Amino acid sequence: MKESTLQLVNYLVIIALLVTLALHLAMQGFLGVSGYENALEYNTALARYREPLSASLLTVLLVAATYHGLFGLRNILLEVRSGPRWNALVTGCVLVLAIAMLGWGFRTIVVAFGGF
Amino acid sequence: MAEGVVSVEKTRERKDNLVSKQWRWALRRPMNLEKLALLVQRVSGVGLLLYFFFHIFVTGSITSGEQAWSGLMGILFNPVAHIGELLVVVGATFHGVNGIRVMVLELTSLVGRPLRPDYPYKTQSLGKGQQTILYTAVIMASLSTIAGIVILWGLSL
Repeated sequence: MKESTLQLVNYLVIIALLVTLALHLAMQGFLGVSGYENALEYNTALARYREPLSASLLTVLLVAATYHGLFGLRNILLEVRSGPRWNALVTGCVLVLAIAMLGWGFRTIVVAFGGF
Repeated sequence: MAEGVVSVEKTRERKDNLVSKQWRWALRRPMNLEKLALLVQRVSGVGLLLYFFFHIFVTGSITSGEQAWSGLMGILFNPVAHIGELLVVVGATFHGVNGIRVMVLELTSLVGRPLRPDYPYKTQSLGKGQQTILYTAVIMASLSTIAGIVILWGLSL
């Protein structure tokens, strides 16, 4: 994929990330909970995964944060050194990290949403 | 030396690793507001990514049942972890608002028109519009520090 396309996707992802992260942080402190301690309780946390709207928010947040974070890391690393081998190595490592993070994140959301 | 042959001195390049290269760049003069913002943006970005990586695996323990979740939260619910979480909130706020500045800079004409560098050589790159967003980022980060302290330590104002 062209670098310009990746950057355009990044712009869209940033907007999604700003909205979902703001909601996620609010939900840990005051939105729908009586406090931070209450937000960390097992039943409160599980209810978030079981509620479709909240689970969707977590899914969008997972994808957006993973893409934006790893795209940023890739950009930093590609600025440090150049060359096709370094490019392939960095992109490969970033893809492995993306698979691990998205894989484990989706697993948690799906298992918690479906019940276990 | 034969005529026409030019002696070429091999470029002396420092053999730095990735981290020391970044440090040298960060500490190199001149230090201005724009560079400082980029530095904080990068450090906060890498820090947030590191936190996010562990956050995914920590929250994954919810599928192991109440005992595993409560045990882990019991370990993580302490003042030291709270300071880390506060840094995450402050870092995310600054990173977000300063990121909007960078995005607006790249997509709009906020960067300003190119001007001939005349004496007294005022910096054109960080104009008033950009400075306003940058200061907003600092103010928002400060406010999020207060909000974070109130929420994390359960204080009442």
